[in-house]
Amino acid sequence: MDTQWSRWEVFKQDTPNKPHQAVGSVHAADPQHALLTARNVFARRPQAVSMWVVQADDIFSWTKEELAESKAHRAESFLALSPQPSPLSSYAVFRKTSHKRSMTFVDYVGEVKARSPEEALEQALATFTDTEALSWWIVPTDKVYRSDPSQETVESWFAPARDKTYKQQQYYATIGSHVSKHKTGRENDDEE
Amino acid sequence: MRNEIKQALIAKLTALADDEVILSHRDSEWTGHAPILEEDIALANIAQDELGHASVWYGLRKELDGSDPDQLAFFREAGEYRNTELVELPKGDWAFTMLRQYLYDLYEALWLQSAKNSSYQPLADAANKVLREERFHLQHTHAWVERLGLGTEESNRRLQQALNMQWGYAQQLFVPIPGEELLIAEGIVPDLASVKERWLEHSTRHLQASGLELPINPGYQPTSRTYHTEHLWSILAEMQSTARWDAEAKVW
Repeated sequence: MDTQWSRWEVFKQDTPNKPHQAVGSVHAADPQHALLTARNVFARRPQAVSMWVVQADDIFSWTKEELAESKAHRAESFLALSPQPSPLSSYAVFRKTSHKRSMTFVDYVGEVKARSPEEALEQALATFTDTEALSWWIVPTDKVYRSDPSQETVESWFAPARDKTYKQQQYYATIGSHVSKHKTGRENDDEE
Repeated sequence: MRNEIKQALIAKLTALADDEVILSHRDSEWTGHAPILEEDIALANIAQDELGHASVWYGLRKELDGSDPDQLAFFREAGEYRNTELVELPKGDWAFTMLRQYLYDLYEALWLQSAKNSSYQPLADAANKVLREERFHLQHTHAWVERLGLGTEESNRRLQQALNMQWGYAQQLFVPIPGEELLIAEGIVPDLASVKERWLEHSTRHLQASGLELPINPGYQPTSRTYHTEHLWSILAEMQSTARWDAEAKVW
């Protein structure tokens, strides 16, 4: 029996005007549990206003290299994965655009309507053309689980983290201060 | 503030802080040992928050009598602590720890909800701030009770066992300390009787919906915060050892 919980990708939004960004993953038993653990793991100190989680298996991803292989190949996989045309549904589109920083994020860019993840990718490629993407993540919108947007939840989940200076190293003067400061004290003690 | 009111308030703040310190230390015993990394981080986070709350209550006491919170936490003997017995019980298994945290979080959230209206402004402000965190803790432990209760036969059995053990102990959270009636009359702290009523309503509903049975015989119910189990001595011995060994602790 596989006792490992599923993996969930976590998307954190730092301010209302910024996109949700992939920040890492958690293991959890269900969507609500994933959101709760995500909040603890990824929003303890930094600022945040909202969180989404998506089960890793529900993410369809393509890298730039995979896309370069050929359009024909994509058509093939489209046929293999979607033998029957499905009704039009909504997909969330995420895109990674940089390798430069140590923390490079996959950002939410918007939604498209399509009959399959592959078609959603084609829509995304045609819609979000402002900058080159290194990789694309396509997720059925109903598989994106969001933290409660009510003011009370936003406050209890995210506001306290900002005020908790005691969770930062520099709060503890002894640990944060240079070791030489304390060595001097001990040498004096030894001389006595 | 009349002196007898002030003394009662000092005692109440001490009781609040002592509960948080000991519960926090019990939770911290899971650090590095929780069933999964994410929950290890989550519980360490809760432990740190509860310790933060303790420092809020000790801080309010300091404003009244100038006492040093570190002295109170690290240099008092077990007999001087005023925590409930519930929080000093050994951490047990994950079900035991999650249930205790749930019962405590629910009590604390409901108490704070009322304490926001305290006639003593520093307490009202503190309650407002602490409540935001407590709401999140409660969501987390509320979710765990549901998942363990409705999970497997084994998880339900362990949670039921924890409930049978803790239900009586938890009632001590609602026993007023000597002099508390003065504070209630002044509107400084909420009446525990009404907090208990809401706590019973919420906890009974959630525990039963999670497939648990409330113990018919509630068992031992501690009544005075001057009495403790033997477990308080051992937890303090560990918690206070570094401070007592080297109060400055600046060189290592």
